[in-house]
Amino acid sequence: MNSHHPARAGLAASLTLGLVAALAACSAEAGASSEQSYESWDEVVAAAEGQTVKLWMYGGDEQGNAYVNDVLVPAAAEQGVTLEQVPIADTPDALNRILSEVQAGETDGEVDLVWVNGNNFGTGKEAGAWECGWTDLLPNMALTDPADPLLLDDFGTPVDGCEAPWHKAQFTFVYNSDTVTDVPSTLDELLDWARANPGRFTYPAPPDFTGSVFVREVLYSVSGGYENVPLAYSEDAFAELTPTLYDELTDLAPSLWRGGETYPQNSNELNELFANGEVDFTMTYGPATLTELVADGTYPAGTKVLTLDEGTVGNASFLGLASTSGSKAGAMVVANLALSVEQQVAKAEPDVWGQFTVLDLDQLSDEERALFEALPSSPVVPSYDVLSENANPELAAAWVTPIDEAWRAQVLAR
Amino acid sequence: MTMMIPYGQRVTPDRQATSRGLMRPRPVGRAARIILSGMLALWFALPLVPLLLWSVANRWSFPAPLPTEWGFDGLGTALAQGGVEAFGRSLLLSLAVAAIATPVGAMAARALAVGSVPAPRLVSGILLAPLALPAFVAVMGLTVVLLRMRVPAVVGVLLLLVAAALPYTVYTMRVTYAAHDLAFEEEARTLGASRWQVLWRVHLPLVAPGFARAAFLAFLVGWSDYVITVLVGGGTIVTLPFLVGSFAAGVGNDAIVAVLSLSAIVPPLLLLLALGRFGRRYAGGTRTPSASPLARSEKGFL
Repeated sequence: MNSHHPARAGLAASLTLGLVAALAACSAEAGASSEQSYESWDEVVAAAEGQTVKLWMYGGDEQGNAYVNDVLVPAAAEQGVTLEQVPIADTPDALNRILSEVQAGETDGEVDLVWVNGNNFGTGKEAGAWECGWTDLLPNMALTDPADPLLLDDFGTPVDGCEAPWHKAQFTFVYNSDTVTDVPSTLDELLDWARANPGRFTYPAPPDFTGSVFVREVLYSVSGGYENVPLAYSEDAFAELTPTLYDELTDLAPSLWRGGETYPQNSNELNELFANGEVDFTMTYGPATLTELVADGTYPAGTKVLTLDEGTVGNASFLGLASTSGSKAGAMVVANLALSVEQQVAKAEPDVWGQFTVLDLDQLSDEERALFEALPSSPVVPSYDVLSENANPELAAAWVTPIDEAWRAQVLAR
Repeated sequence: MTMMIPYGQRVTPDRQATSRGLMRPRPVGRAARIILSGMLALWFALPLVPLLLWSVANRWSFPAPLPTEWGFDGLGTALAQGGVEAFGRSLLLSLAVAAIATPVGAMAARALAVGSVPAPRLVSGILLAPLALPAFVAVMGLTVVLLRMRVPAVVGVLLLLVAAALPYTVYTMRVTYAAHDLAFEEEARTLGASRWQVLWRVHLPLVAPGFARAAFLAFLVGWSDYVITVLVGGGTIVTLPFLVGSFAAGVGNDAIVAVLSLSAIVPPLLLLLALGRFGRRYAGGTRTPSASPLARSEKGFL
């Protein structure tokens, strides 16, 4: 469900992550810088022959695992690269491993590629976890839009060729149309709906990734739109904009599930509440899996996507190349392969994974574009154009922690 | 073993207490005990019921009390996602941890019990330290050290898991050795047995139940670890907790998680049952120190 796990972070994990990041930054000279650099794509392909690449990724998404193992792995094998998936519960596990390897000066580490974005990418970039400046070499990067803001910045951290785009995500509200008859069309109306239907709405407690973005959505809403919130963090902007946010959320709290006494600890718990009909709304960064969850009966048959007039936050997730990898050429071949039309189409297939493509359809030939246009539409999830209409940009990662902490102090402890 | 009667009587409960019937099973107490153990069994079994049901449910939509579609999709996916391989790796890893941590823990415990260790309190403290330290914190620092020393991932995992298991094996074996009577070994020595004979024929059989308990605990440490296997193993050893953890972090995976969790319960359960039988066999025999009058008297003196 949360196919956007790359940025989820357990509290303990992120705490230690910070510690290690600081340590790693101190001993940056020990960090493994790449010994070989490649001049041309042909050199990369030649060097990649026979390499084994380990892709660390959140493993809780059966469709995601199946796509990688059944579609991407065989395609990589055709190019002479052995791809192995390492399924993990949370992306910081991978980052922690890389940072340990960076500290130890490892040059043939156990992590090659990581499905990553947001905070994990930013923290890792500061600590030298990622190999940078390699994505220009990938021939398939030409299929993306070089000016696409989602591919240039990852939560305010410039991508700088330190990760290759993989797919796009759109924050999405989901509701049960059997029980919600007066469907809200803006976030403000959604909060009013929650007040009018006490106990039927809630959100995961930040710092859960999904709960955290919900709070930022409310910030956009109470500020009169994302245009009024500077994307780069400043204490002044925080002091000016957030009092209205917390007033709104404190006022909303008594109308939430269990009177706002408690919140779901993570998006998974909220999804369970929704699946069990205890609340009428859930929210996710990965609407792709909704189709399957309705089809297999986990979610109610009346499950529908709620599109908001002012739009919602959208972002992209990426494949990061570990600076400690000993199979960089192989990893680049896999990243390039993952960007190919065939792979992006296969991955967008709702039966396979249903992830939105990062390719720019205008750069494709007519036949290639036809492949994307021929994708079956889902009875539950509208197409990416509809979902991403009026897409809002993500605030810089520096906003996230202060907003989450103030939420704890002011809304949770009210 | 019939020679140590004199001390035995000292710890026998006095007649008055026996005549009051404290030691004799009373019908009411017996019924209460049966009810209590029944409820305890229920307490342990209840959480397993939904797990069992989920493992054979293709679809179970809320609020249906039973699965709405039965089937083996969960099993199929668990197999397709490398469940069997992960199970095998987990088993090998845990057995290796038990095989190393148990004798090492036993030797440390014996040395401590016999009193041949300088500063025994400090040494016990160090041996128990891994219990107090959150594994995550310890592992973060140690991973770097192990990487610098070029220790292969598998060896590193094994080393750290053994260290994590040692507090349990040392503690269990200390309890065992506290109740262990060295006189048996001395007796055997004076009768002319070699060191090895003493070890194999006298010592080990006497401490076997404690040894088995310690091995079981060490096995559990290896069986349930996630953090060390992920960070130190660097993804080279994908174990069962690895798969359970990653699937449990997603929605709609209940059937897979149920199948994996059930398979994760089976080996410890089997071992526990084996341990119970093993323990009873020894306790019922005449060779165990706890059944001998001398040992009882020894305990009485302690």
